[in-house]
Amino acid sequence: MSSRRFSAGLALAAFAALFLLAITAPAHLSDATLEPSMRFASPSVLPPFGADRLGRPLLQYAQQGAEIVIGPALAAACFVAVLSIAGGLLRCVGDQRVDALIQGLGEVLGALPRMVVILVAALLIPSTSRGLLPLALVWALLAAPGAMDEAAAVAERLGGARFVEALRAHGFSWSRVFLYHIVALNLRPVVVRQAAEVLLQVTFLELGLSYLAVQGNEASFTHPDSLKSWADLLYMGYTAIGLGTPTWHALALGLGLVALTTVIARSTTTAVRAR
Amino acid sequence: MKAWWVRPGVRLLAAVLLPLLVPAIITALIWALPGDPSEIICPKATCSGTAELAARWHLDKGAWSFFVQWVGNAVHGDFGNSWRVEQGLPVADLLVDSVPVTVKLVVLSLIPILLGVVGAATGLLPARTDGLFSAVGLVPALVFSLLGSAAIVVKFGAGAFDSEANLWRLVVGAAVLGFSDGAFASAVSGVRGVFSAERNQRYVSIAILRGERPLANMLPNVAPALTGQLRARILHLLSGAVVVEVVLGLTGVGDLLWSGTLKQDFGVVLAAATTFACFSAFLLVVQAAVEVGVALHVRRAPVLADVARVAA
Repeated sequence: MSSRRFSAGLALAAFAALFLLAITAPAHLSDATLEPSMRFASPSVLPPFGADRLGRPLLQYAQQGAEIVIGPALAAACFVAVLSIAGGLLRCVGDQRVDALIQGLGEVLGALPRMVVILVAALLIPSTSRGLLPLALVWALLAAPGAMDEAAAVAERLGGARFVEALRAHGFSWSRVFLYHIVALNLRPVVVRQAAEVLLQVTFLELGLSYLAVQGNEASFTHPDSLKSWADLLYMGYTAIGLGTPTWHALALGLGLVALTTVIARSTTTAVRAR
Repeated sequence: MKAWWVRPGVRLLAAVLLPLLVPAIITALIWALPGDPSEIICPKATCSGTAELAARWHLDKGAWSFFVQWVGNAVHGDFGNSWRVEQGLPVADLLVDSVPVTVKLVVLSLIPILLGVVGAATGLLPARTDGLFSAVGLVPALVFSLLGSAAIVVKFGAGAFDSEANLWRLVVGAAVLGFSDGAFASAVSGVRGVFSAERNQRYVSIAILRGERPLANMLPNVAPALTGQLRARILHLLSGAVVVEVVLGLTGVGDLLWSGTLKQDFGVVLAAATTFACFSAFLLVVQAAVEVGVALHVRRAPVLADVARVAA
């Protein structure tokens, strides 16, 4: 099997696992158990991932965490993919004013550290609209100029407007030239890689913001209090190392979920890389 | 072709506007939120004297008046008072404490990156190590930070916040920032890419034939691209510094911004975000200066017509 097919299979399997976790997520965690032996239960006692200090299955943390990230991360990835395609196609149109506008936008949006913009956005988004989705879209907006610029550079290397003219001279329709020859054959590796990177970054953004909130015992900007993020698992892992609580299995699960998301992004990128 | 001064000129303009634009946007958005900004500090349901507070904090005469007042004071180093994080304390005092921590963190984290950049440019860092650094760079800063934080708690126990532990926090934070989220790997691969593309230029081959060092010939030509990459890298570090500072308990500007965001302290957020904008403006000025320097260096070089005349 070629590495490209293997990567595609791996990406699909990892995404299917994430999707399965998300759609099976319970609305609330189970009630705390009164059975002392179930507290901090290891995976062998409470399969598949063990339990927290109240005897609640860590599987539910994984499910709810997946539910929090999957929608916004996919939305942000699609947003960047669409803008990236637009950036490539606009370069093929050959309008210098549009190019200058995109570059100017990139300079302005790229001039500030992204996390600073995200925190300001988190502060200013009304509490009724709070959640990961608006923050994910802000992140995607900040990432978009770079993605558009890279797609435009690929289109430039193709020959830009001259490439389109040449294909039109061969009798291909506009839609075939733009959608098949430019997007599907040439922009695909860049567009998919940028989208996969944003998917990964949004997942890590959620982890970061939720972890900071969990650490300070505050409500997260990214999800309601009724849901638990993967950051809760990582925090349990932190207490295992730093404070000696028996929650090493939570650390392993948290790191495993981070690895799962990384596998999705990296395998997708490898699967669609340019030949 | 655009004149050589356009690009650095735009950067200098952006550097001037950025520290004004950031507070302007935040101020506009504060007023765009539903309700009166003064009620954020002192909700009428639970607190009396909202009108007096609004007058004292310049919130009573609208967004423009607040912005002009704030910028006018900020130019003289007065960023107003904290609304909630350290209620009533001057934000300037909080910034004086936190800016050096962030600067130290970012400068320390730049050391491995700069060594990597030099290694990649000179070929001392072989390309076969890129895979290893890319793998390390896949780990998010959060994971390395929490592991580092836990390790410091284990090592120092009850003294986890004394001066020696704080030094360790800074060093661990710098290492985390320098290597996680692809910081080191991207810097090295970016520089390697720039130099390998430049090495294919004819003038480099000619320089080698003349017995000159290729690096010295390439450097002026790649300097603007390298400076741009370095600026992007430092912005990336500043972005990551927020998470690293909070997780490791470093009291930098990122930590201050996080506290301000959590507690809806617009006074602190305004000042912290503007501080980041000033960092960014400084980087833009440096990049513009390098571009101007390179442009002047190139203009001092003999043009082709002069060379041909001398040869004739």
